[in-house]
Amino acid sequence: MFKKLIAESAAKSPWLFHINSGSCNGCDIELVAVLTPRYDVERLGFKLAGSPRQADIVVVTGPVTRQSLDRVLSAISQVPEPRCIVTMGSCPQSGNVFKGSYSVCAPLSKYVHVDVDIAGCAPKPEAIMDGLVKATEILKQKRGQM
Amino acid sequence: MTANIFLNGLQYLGYILIFPGFLFCFLCGMLLVGIDRKLVARMQKRVGPPILQPFYDFFKLCGKETIVPAAAERTTFLVAPIVGLAALVVIQLFIPIHGFTAFSGMADIVVILYLLLIPALAAILGAAASGSPYAGIGLSREMVTIIACELPLVLVLLAVAKTVGNALGTGLCFSMSEIAEYQLQNGSLITKLSMIPAAIAFAMVIPGETGSHPFDTAEAETEICEGMHAEYSGAPLAVFKLSHAVKVLTLTSLFVALFFGGIGTGIIAFDGVIVFALCIVATALFISFVHAVTARLKIEQVFKYYWTVVSGLALVSLVLAWYGM
Repeated sequence: MFKKLIAESAAKSPWLFHINSGSCNGCDIELVAVLTPRYDVERLGFKLAGSPRQADIVVVTGPVTRQSLDRVLSAISQVPEPRCIVTMGSCPQSGNVFKGSYSVCAPLSKYVHVDVDIAGCAPKPEAIMDGLVKATEILKQKRGQM
Repeated sequence: MTANIFLNGLQYLGYILIFPGFLFCFLCGMLLVGIDRKLVARMQKRVGPPILQPFYDFFKLCGKETIVPAAAERTTFLVAPIVGLAALVVIQLFIPIHGFTAFSGMADIVVILYLLLIPALAAILGAAASGSPYAGIGLSREMVTIIACELPLVLVLLAVAKTVGNALGTGLCFSMSEIAEYQLQNGSLITKLSMIPAAIAFAMVIPGETGSHPFDTAEAETEICEGMHAEYSGAPLAVFKLSHAVKVLTLTSLFVALFFGGIGTGIIAFDGVIVFALCIVATALFISFVHAVTARLKIEQVFKYYWTVVSGLALVSLVLAWYGM
């Protein structure tokens, strides 16, 4: 019973940690917009955590520049299991307009397992919320397997 | 004889574990925080999380991996949150509910004053043991916040002790159960003119002690990564979140016991509900409303505010009480 309670709670209280890996700030603003009164993602239990140690979902924005790659990977490795990695915007998925640049390491999925990709440049708040809810379902599954 | 001792022991165990001890603190504290979050959301025109959200957070954190940093002092790091929670549950045993107190003594106000320090000290110890620079900044700010809050708190408690002591003819009365008894017979202390500044000062101390807006400089999550809790994850973090919830309950119920005592029916179950309802009102006014309308202060502003405005109010009350008004 206790195990079931924890798995249920895992889906209802996902805390976000946001990493900017050289993003143009467009996606970052959209992520903050999701927390504002108009969309209020806190009604689903989402909360921005200050430290990666307290997070469940890591949201990565930006094309993962060579400077930021090590930092992104070390921040992700500090997030306790079960965790979920979400890339936001087209940049961390494919490199977007920066593809082929010498200073960009995208896609992020070359380095870590990515659970959800939210496409768009920048994605709409509705799309972000949809992606985050999918991530909570994955979190619940991962918790169930532990 | 032995059966009697056994029964007494069982009764005290019930006090500690169920009511008004651990289980009561857990349920009511978490509910208070849930109501607080919902109210803040409504005040900001949001839908807000469900009222049971703190329970979900707690159980989720229990199911997460616990990471102990390589630079941390393992034992202190893991034991600190439990010590803080235990101290808070003990305070709850001393706070009277109408006429009922689980433990009562000669000078339990002084005990409460010391026990209120322990959770903050435990958090500081845990933060210092985690070896993170963010926690270092957080703990230095927390220390300043404690020193800032402690002076007005002591002045308020002295004013209350003097008022009740004057009426009973014993000088200073440091016993919570006698204060509760006095209020049962003479009505709540808030009806006395000299106690109104003290009540306002105590109300201003509540957000500082619980570390909520605008006095949350020690846990500034957008600025220093949650400060003292920067390295905590999993179950120890869940215990810290629980301590915060219990602290909200402790401070609001202390406020209710000191200034709004004597409201009740004499039946313990009803009195518990009445006190909890008053706690909800106190949380809504002094924590949620203040949270919704203010931004975070700088640490020196926190200190200045507490040692001038709040201490001044408490001092006015103390002087009035000293001259028997």
